[in-house]
Amino acid sequence: MLDAGLCRYVLISYGHNAFSSASLFTMLMDFAGDDAVFGHFGATGGYALAARRAMHEFNTGPQTWKHIAVAQRAWANLNPHAMMHGKPMSFGDYLSSKYVVEPLRLPDNCLVNDGGRAVIITTLERARDLRHRPAVILGLGQHNPSVQVTQSGTLTGSTGARKACETALSMAGVTRDDVDACQIYDCFTYTVELTLQDYGFFGPGEGESWFSEGTIGPGGRMPVNTSGGQLSEAYYMGLTPLSEATMQIMGRCKDRQLGPATQTKEPSIILVSDNGGILQAHSCCVLGRI
Amino acid sequence: MAYNKPLPRVNGDNQEFWEGCRNHELKFQQCASCGHIRFPASLVCPKCLCSDFQSIVSTGTGKVYTYAVYHVAFHQGFLEDLPYVVAVVELQEGPRLLTNIVGCSPEEVSCEMPVTVAWENVTPDISLPMFKPLI
Amino acid sequence: MDREKTHAIVGVGYTPQGRVPGRTSLSFHLEACTNAINDAGIPKDHIDGLICYRHFPAPSDENDLTPHLVAQHLGIEPNYLSQDAN
Repeated sequence: MLDAGLCRYVLISYGHNAFSSASLFTMLMDFAGDDAVFGHFGATGGYALAARRAMHEFNTGPQTWKHIAVAQRAWANLNPHAMMHGKPMSFGDYLSSKYVVEPLRLPDNCLVNDGGRAVIITTLERARDLRHRPAVILGLGQHNPSVQVTQSGTLTGSTGARKACETALSMAGVTRDDVDACQIYDCFTYTVELTLQDYGFFGPGEGESWFSEGTIGPGGRMPVNTSGGQLSEAYYMGLTPLSEATMQIMGRCKDRQLGPATQTKEPSIILVSDNGGILQAHSCCVLGRI
Repeated sequence: MAYNKPLPRVNGDNQEFWEGCRNHELKFQQCASCGHIRFPASLVCPKCLCSDFQSIVSTGTGKVYTYAVYHVAFHQGFLEDLPYVVAVVELQEGPRLLTNIVGCSPEEVSCEMPVTVAWENVTPDISLPMFKPLI
Repeated sequence: MDREKTHAIVGVGYTPQGRVPGRTSLSFHLEACTNAINDAGIPKDHIDGLICYRHFPAPSDENDLTPHLVAQHLGIEPNYLSQDAN
């Protein structure tokens, strides 16, 4: 619509008093439909089904996911605005935390919070006249397998992430090797593993060793979810990863800024993801500096 | 005590399935054109969009495709069941059902475990297809 | 891709987050939007597209949260308006 000249500035917004109101609970019940007959509710149950199947098919589980939860918490501790700022988490803390829906523990789940987030998009031409360095949308891809979790044969990949990422990278004219950091929709730790796996950073079952080198945390070679993400900053659907990628590209992230401040690569290219449903929809965006 | 868990919402699409359940039969639509057995019930076959079908009755046996163990009750009715197992069972005929695994402890459940249907009559009109280990 | 037809994100809006009692979902939308507009440094009348992420059911003391409601409260009349599924 920007291309067509229909719009000049598009505002994308999300807001929810999820923590302080009953609406999240209402949604859980609405979302369940007839699955509720068997006591199956919300996203945690659905992702637990997917994660369990993955544990059957290849090497994954708490020993992989602990790296994701702990690294994102480390990022949150560099972000004073993050809900989990000042609440460090060790592997031991993670592994001794309670199950919600096994195999997913409480720190495998995203946060529930009050708050809102918004971004504004315009043409690059207009963006150049504004005050911040533009976070340029270099490529976009979306793929929607759509099948509900109980009927899906792709709970362990490849999900819509693979095609969405291929489309986005190709549109941007870059490859995975050009990517400096990722902001991944992280409703659950397993979502981060599966998305990065589908993006081709590692093969099925190789996640544990890939993550184990401190890869995605501060100082790592592929920083992921540098605000703390939905696991440790706050949940705003796709706007948690998108807004953080924007702020990193703009260079406005202070203590958690990618580059010398965190002994990481300068963020020229960041991969950003968003999921919908339970592995039913995936969007990928290549955001960069030009 | 009155049944205090959610009940299925019977509608034009799923009526035949739930009527079958009342008679302890797992009934599915098989596409008259391509032979695909579909679930949930639908106006058209998702493989070929043909709307003609015949009804088939499943043997009621299959295997656990995946499962999850609930340690938190999101609904009051399930509080006493904790921890309980929600599973996706793949029937011999192909369709997958969301269900509960009963008749064993959560620790005994595994992916690919053979199971058979265990009917749970919860109201005079509704029987739920749950599954138990196939011995 | 055609760089001349490229788009960019030019503003981000934050709000207090975590446990913030006594606030409606609408108020968080409005605070985030206002902050994003100010962050970009553009007049609000320049906003002619609005996409709201799919809302959850509103609690009983709050109106259904549509993009129309957000536009009304921001005093904007978008040429394009939608609600994105998630």
